[in-house]
Amino acid sequence: MAEFIWATAQYDSGDWDSAAMVPANLIDSVARYTSIDVAPTGAIVPLGSRDLFKYPLVYLTGHLPVRFSDVERSTLREYCRRGGLLFVDDHNHDIDGEFHRTAWEEIARTVGPLVDLPNDHDLYRAFFVFQDGPPTTSHELNGWGDNLVHKHLQCVMQDGRIAVLYSSKDYSSEWNYHPDNKRFLSVDNTRFGVNVVVYALTR
Amino acid sequence: MQTREGATPSSLQRLRRARGKLRTLSIVRAVVWTTTAALIALLLVLALDVLLDFTRLARARLTPAPWLAAIAVFGWHLAGPVRDAWRATDEHVALWFERRIPWLRYALVTQAELGESNASPALERVVHAAPLEATLSHAVSQSLLRPAIAVVLMALLLLVLPAGAVGRVLAPTTGDALDGAGSQAAAAENPLATIVVRVQPPAYSGLPAQSYDDPTSVSALLGSRVTVEGLGTGVRAMRGDVVDNATKAGIRWRIALPVPARAEAVRLVAGARERVLVLEPIADSVPSVRLDSPARDTVLRVARGTLPLVAEVRDDLGLSEGAFELIISAGGGELYTFRTMFIGSQRFDAGVRTARLQGAVRLDSLGLKPGDLVHLRAIARDRNDIAGPGRGASETRTLRIARTDEYDSVSVDPAPPSEPEKDALSQRMILQQTVELVARRRRMNTAAVTQASRRIAVDQTKLRKKVGEVVFTRLGEDGGGEHEHFAGDGHQHAPEGIVNPDALLAAAERAANVDPTRNLDHDGDETPVVAINRPLLEAYNHMWRASEELELGAPDRAIPWMERAIEALQRARAAERIYLRGRPPRVVVDINRVRLAGKDEARPGVRIPRATLDPSRAARLARFDATLGVVARNPFAAADSLLLIRVTLPAEERAAAVALDAAATALRRGGDVTTPLVAARRALVQQPPRRAPLTAWGY
Repeated sequence: MAEFIWATAQYDSGDWDSAAMVPANLIDSVARYTSIDVAPTGAIVPLGSRDLFKYPLVYLTGHLPVRFSDVERSTLREYCRRGGLLFVDDHNHDIDGEFHRTAWEEIARTVGPLVDLPNDHDLYRAFFVFQDGPPTTSHELNGWGDNLVHKHLQCVMQDGRIAVLYSSKDYSSEWNYHPDNKRFLSVDNTRFGVNVVVYALTR
Repeated sequence: MQTREGATPSSLQRLRRARGKLRTLSIVRAVVWTTTAALIALLLVLALDVLLDFTRLARARLTPAPWLAAIAVFGWHLAGPVRDAWRATDEHVALWFERRIPWLRYALVTQAELGESNASPALERVVHAAPLEATLSHAVSQSLLRPAIAVVLMALLLLVLPAGAVGRVLAPTTGDALDGAGSQAAAAENPLATIVVRVQPPAYSGLPAQSYDDPTSVSALLGSRVTVEGLGTGVRAMRGDVVDNATKAGIRWRIALPVPARAEAVRLVAGARERVLVLEPIADSVPSVRLDSPARDTVLRVARGTLPLVAEVRDDLGLSEGAFELIISAGGGELYTFRTMFIGSQRFDAGVRTARLQGAVRLDSLGLKPGDLVHLRAIARDRNDIAGPGRGASETRTLRIARTDEYDSVSVDPAPPSEPEKDALSQRMILQQTVELVARRRRMNTAAVTQASRRIAVDQTKLRKKVGEVVFTRLGEDGGGEHEHFAGDGHQHAPEGIVNPDALLAAAERAANVDPTRNLDHDGDETPVVAINRPLLEAYNHMWRASEELELGAPDRAIPWMERAIEALQRARAAERIYLRGRPPRVVVDINRVRLAGKDEARPGVRIPRATLDPSRAARLARFDATLGVVARNPFAAADSLLLIRVTLPAEERAAAVALDAAATALRRGGDVTTPLVAARRALVQQPPRRAPLTAWGY
């Protein structure tokens, strides 16, 4: 069985590499908590590339407006239809922020409309248990950005599984630190990322 | 040569007649060449269709080609030869003749130039001897001969082409796949290579006949007549134990098949060759009926008045009749009586799919007594004379006549609206209150204005303190900083604790280690804390000024400060976040070091294994997987296998049936079939959605 590689989506518009430490941090967490055979470094995969199909989970983030090209759109549509999971996190999370507005439009146009993911969904029990749904981030609680604590993540479901997972919670800021600094945290805040990985690999 | 009156025509008269004929010739030539161009284009498209066997879509795109060629050639003639002919003068025509009759030695041209009045008799005699009409006739025949021959040859060529070949190009329709010359060549090897299925729906449906080119499955209304056609001979259709031999119609074979009650695979066999065609019945829906009036159940104290009845009825194919049905139940205990009646019956003409039923019932004519119940619904029938008619009914409404000893009561628990939270007053709200106070100030005395202004000042001070708490918290001090250090909030403070707003701003700048004279925007190396706090501090100061003015009973002077405070709050809200990205180091995680070293305890939910497939579903999936092995070697056999799996599907597995159809069609067409095969396999595994059964009251 091939090892799991954390893949970050590279798209033509926007700042796709705004959370450069997230991959290493999540790879560290996957190794730290699970026996999943994980590659020590992540991969960057152009969204319009056929290489996208090599990765069961692709992470997409940024602050700036998102506009997919036709090739990116068709590839992503096929990726989701074939069983891939696209995890999108709004690194900006302002009220009606540019990333949020444009990413929603693009996802709706490409894969389908986003709906609230129920807080008792399998995702929140895939490895760690999150009784109240998606864990809050310090950025939400400190009133950054849209000054909201988002109660739900959003998703596009296809064939009974999550094809696109969308977060307005700014996990990209929350997880964007060197994995060695994890030792200073009383509770590891990347645990939910492990759930996302486990869900993507098992559903 | 003589005129009608018997006189000999002059040379100029002959010349002008010739000019008119040359004009006519130019138009005739344009028409003939236009026809020639259109026929050449048509033959070209036909030749390509024979060679490449175009799809219907491609043929539809090429249909305008002959017309475009005709328009182009005719336009060219209009802009060139025809225009020249109609602009030609007598001198031009005379020169045209001089070129063809050299011995005239310009006598005709000279006569044309001299005109009728100055004509020379000597030249007239020379011209009289010239064969102008014969020369013109020869030129006409020479000019039209070639295109006319071309038109005739091409018309003959069209006649020898296979019947329908021209129609395929000029008017492509579904069902003309067999008319192509390519199909006939393929049929010589395999009579099942191309088939056409024609469906004649039952008469009651009013639907037109449909044709399908090379289908893998055909859905048709029960009672339809399905005819399968192909080219060649020796074909038979096998449906279970029933074998239908094809009849011969010219160079075609034809088999008529009934639409089965459930999906059925028909095996078309021609020698060693075989092909599967799925026939699937389409059920005729029963009419859908919606009762609009009465809109709800009702209790009437007295059965009096007229009750309007309105309903909307729809059917997928055609309505036959509709009416309102009333069931009146009377009595009590163990003794009940029922009466049924129909009101507003209406018959519909063929083809009516949507209608509105209207009627009225006079309640006093029904003889209702207290306690009686009237059940009312609309009903409709469709025109299905094969398996029907289908009968649809609306929801049932109930009208009850109240008993005299009944008493209806309504209990309402009043609840006051919740008290608004004063602390939630925003700066905008405070500004609004102040503006309202200023507006009504003229009608108030000074003391009242001051009192109202100070009430607003209290809210303004509360809000300012909240902003101060935010600023102090971010600057690393506790939220009570203002309370300890600032005056003006209605509390008593030690004199040494009084700091004015400018001093506060300066203190904040020092705390953030930033030069206060610099631009307020947070560019360069300014920290985001200062970037957010600076407008907040400004807002704080403006609020301070506003509350001072309000305390002094001058609300009008407070308004500008409030507006500035709002503007500063907006800036604080819109302040950008700064992400100190830089270029992070490339981190290679030491997997072995951190493997399972996590300190947080995971409680992964018990993995729920995939539900075991029921035996029939598992069998279908096994057949599908086995078929995948054939796909590369023999896609046509794989397509047939998928169709055979399709007919084993129960009716509720509609999604799987559609997916298998699509996969089979894709296999027959060739190309990348990954996506349809993936979709088909997924659809085979997936459980169809369960719908709640109809309730006992459902019709």
